[in-house]
Amino acid sequence: MKKLKRRKPNRSRGGDIGIYLLLIFFGIFMALPLVYAINSAFKPLDEIYLYPPKFFVQNPTMDNFQDLFVIMGKSWVPFSRYIFNTVFITFVGTAGHLLVASMGAYVLAKYDFPGGKTFFNLVVTALMFSGYVLGIPNYLVMTNLGWVDTYLAVVIPAFASPMGLFLMKQFMEGIPDALIEAAKIDGAKQWTIYSKIVMPMVKPAWLTLIIFSVQNLWNTKASNYIYSEELKTLPYALQQIINGGVSRAGVGSAVTLFMMIVPILTFVLSQSNILETMASSGIKD
Amino acid sequence: MSKPKKKRKTLAQKNAIAGYLFILPFIIGFLAFLAYPLIESLQMSFCKVTVEVGGFNKEFIGLANFKKAFTVDPEFTRLLTESLSSMAYRVPATLIFSFFVALLLNQDFKGRGFVRAIFFLPVILSSGVIVGLEYNNTLLQGMEDVVQESGGNSSITATLQAILDTGGVGSKFFGYVFDILDSVYDVAIASGIQIIIFLSGLQTISSSMYEAAKIEGCTAWESFWKITFPMVSSLILVNIVYSIIDFLIRTDNEVMEKINDTMMPMMDYGFSSAMAWSYFVIVMAVVGVISLIVSKKVYYYE
Repeated sequence: MKKLKRRKPNRSRGGDIGIYLLLIFFGIFMALPLVYAINSAFKPLDEIYLYPPKFFVQNPTMDNFQDLFVIMGKSWVPFSRYIFNTVFITFVGTAGHLLVASMGAYVLAKYDFPGGKTFFNLVVTALMFSGYVLGIPNYLVMTNLGWVDTYLAVVIPAFASPMGLFLMKQFMEGIPDALIEAAKIDGAKQWTIYSKIVMPMVKPAWLTLIIFSVQNLWNTKASNYIYSEELKTLPYALQQIINGGVSRAGVGSAVTLFMMIVPILTFVLSQSNILETMASSGIKD
Repeated sequence: MSKPKKKRKTLAQKNAIAGYLFILPFIIGFLAFLAYPLIESLQMSFCKVTVEVGGFNKEFIGLANFKKAFTVDPEFTRLLTESLSSMAYRVPATLIFSFFVALLLNQDFKGRGFVRAIFFLPVILSSGVIVGLEYNNTLLQGMEDVVQESGGNSSITATLQAILDTGGVGSKFFGYVFDILDSVYDVAIASGIQIIIFLSGLQTISSSMYEAAKIEGCTAWESFWKITFPMVSSLILVNIVYSIIDFLIRTDNEVMEKINDTMMPMMDYGFSSAMAWSYFVIVMAVVGVISLIVSKKVYYYE
């Protein structure tokens, strides 16, 4: 796809500087917690418990990471297993969610069908309900399905998470109907329209959805549904490490840093992939 | 908005079948993992729930749980009104802030990707890792303290405030200013997702529109209100709904904490379901009214 150059209204130098200043100001706000987390990961134990806490590390050390790897090595199930579990859940859950939510959203956004509006309203309503409250009934569902203690209990509900549908539908409504009609006249089947026209046009939307979903699933502990040690997730295992006591606080900060890497990477990668889309170009009235 | 009309019946039927097939997976998932558990918990709210070996025992007690929530429980109504009133200013502030930042981040400048990543950080930090790992983690507690101190009143602003106070300039006025600064931090931290949603919306606007507007002689100000704003207006609705929900049901909201405390250590599922449902109905009413008003104003591109 050819990258279109966004035409900007002529802007003054003063405005440029103003924008930079604002960005720097808010950027510092935003970056503060991360800087602190990074610093903590390199703090020796006595510095972590220093009161009042110091923001920057005084005597940086790699001890926390070393300890973390030692503890990882001693775990009952090979540590790579936890990593695999989480990667698997994140990957399958996100892919499935993307497919299911975007297909549903396509129909809801572009076709009138009986009950469509009502169903969408129901979904939005369900958004408002926190996972907490559903914990127990959901457990009963999983028991009835026989999914307790399998990946399914975590992955399948992630497919039908309402936020993705809501987001995708809202983006897809922006696609001109004329484009879809034109494709139909040219003989495209529903699946072709969906996969060749609609999906490429809402690329920013599904990259956003991927960011959300990876973010959620990567941090899933799933301790409600999964009991077997070899099926447990990485955040769960890491939490066990942190809970080992006060002396583990250093390792804890190393863990925090470790857990942030993947969501940040996903974000950076997908952001750089969001190109200008062709939405609403391609049409001549 | 005109939907594609299907001419012949057979084709229409074919289309309908395809449409249902497309949405079927979502419907199934929705019914099994959201609708059914919701109904179950609604049922629980009218019952006295006791845990037994191998399951739960529900005994119907009518509205007693709801009565308890609103009349007997000393905290529930107070927490509820507090949450709602802070929402009333928090949500608009989040929206304006995130829209503004998204506009800035959508400009072309050096290091754009890096700056965007920075603005996404709070999302990672607040919704994922910290909430997920916070139990028994003294480190993160310490971190929150530091963040509060450095971002809030003690270090930067408090020193400034001290200086200004001694200067004798109307200290009350500055008191307000610093209160606002404090909440700016909270708002900034809470608006990561909204920024992304706006940003991806801004990117779907084609540049030829701006070009055309410019040729016609539009100023930047005019093309903002006539192009940018209408084109992302549907996402404003998304973000309003998201912000309200995010604020009201995030794990550190006081009402949610109360509901959770009642559920887990006290095992009072019936009472906590009743509180959750009353809360839910109120949140739903708020979101419903607001989105009804806003959706009238939303513009869909055709």
